[in-house]
Amino acid sequence: MSIRLLALVPVAAAVSLALSAVVDAVALPLFLDTTGTILATALAGPAVGIATGIVTSAVNTLRNPTFWPFVVVQIIVALYAWVAARAGLFRSFRTAVPAGLGLGVIASVTSTPISYVVFGCTTTGGIALTTALGKALGLPPLGACFFGSFVSDFGDKAVTFALVTSVLHALPRRAAARFPWALRAIGAA
Amino acid sequence: MTGVRLHPFTLLAIAGALPALAWILPAPAGAAVTAGVALLLTLTPGALLTPAASPGFTVSGSSPGRRPGLVVLRTAVLTAAPFWLFLLLLHDVPTTLSIGLRITTMVASFVWLVAALEPARLVEAMVAAGWSASIAYLLAATLSAVPVLKARAQRIVEAQRCRGLSSRGGIAARLRALRALALPLVLSALHEVDERALALETRGLVPGIHRTPLAPPPDPVVERAARWVLLLACLSALIRRLM
Repeated sequence: MSIRLLALVPVAAAVSLALSAVVDAVALPLFLDTTGTILATALAGPAVGIATGIVTSAVNTLRNPTFWPFVVVQIIVALYAWVAARAGLFRSFRTAVPAGLGLGVIASVTSTPISYVVFGCTTTGGIALTTALGKALGLPPLGACFFGSFVSDFGDKAVTFALVTSVLHALPRRAAARFPWALRAIGAA
Repeated sequence: MTGVRLHPFTLLAIAGALPALAWILPAPAGAAVTAGVALLLTLTPGALLTPAASPGFTVSGSSPGRRPGLVVLRTAVLTAAPFWLFLLLLHDVPTTLSIGLRITTMVASFVWLVAALEPARLVEAMVAAGWSASIAYLLAATLSAVPVLKARAQRIVEAQRCRGLSSRGGIAARLRALRALALPLVLSALHEVDERALALETRGLVPGIHRTPLAPPPDPVVERAARWVLLLACLSALIRRLM
């Protein structure tokens, strides 16, 4: 890994964690905690994205220990973002938002077994309440858990993909060209 | 307030072994024991709560004569409490007890770890153990970058509000506000990458170079043996559980 890509990892991980302050300001039910992972992957490929995801989870764990088991989700997000970048799906909102919705489904499918087995579906207040709603609707325990994860992940990942698309297009071409995957991700190379 | 200064790897081993045992040992008895041990740990003299050692927690509000351990215990209890509430909402009492004690073990272990582990000592220990300086840099740089970027995010929020940006209204308006707030933050962070890369090159942090730690934390034989004992205890408990 080159020095520039090594320097990108902590910056991208810190972006994921600092965006919570922005989310608080607009009071939307979003996490955006995979923004740095997706951005790093779109800029520099899967190895940098996976490293960013692992570092994000490790540092997030120091704030809230329940994040560590979900490191697997960060790795899957990085791999999915790499496929999306290779396919140039960050070229516009029209391609990025559906890709983000697809990631929402995959992320909720991945996080449901972890949430169910390790935490009994109580990872955050919002997920616990939507899981309770799923139970009240008559879903089985695992189905209710998936419902809770799906409601929180589906929109979150679409917004994250849209945000990363905005960033990639707002980057000056000269700056984007310094990262190996940036231009291909937006369909410019 | 030096107290017992365990080696960073020993702290990590304890904080990792307790949750592992909580999930491996039969519940609720096994998890009750590990939760008790983890909560007791938060009261130990090694659990010093200093701003440098605890990025997620502060001691503001604690009275001058208060033992830091009590603050750590309170943090652990307050962090674990919502899980019990949600577990009761979703499960019956025996399941709540089993999962709740396991989560309490994990929360208390990590809250204790955060209070007792100094990132700088961890970096020194990793470098002394022959780990790549790059890995140590990734952890230390992220820990130091998060508060900087959070403060910058707050300044951007205030600046955009001064320019008339409204973060209220319907979902579409809030999403537009989110873009106006997040974009400057992410772009400014990306522009720092080159500066950081230059600084790393200047300091000789290139891949494949082994650095010499300035003050490596002492790693007594007793602690090294204790770490192996913890690992073997987890493995034997797992094998017994599976058989």
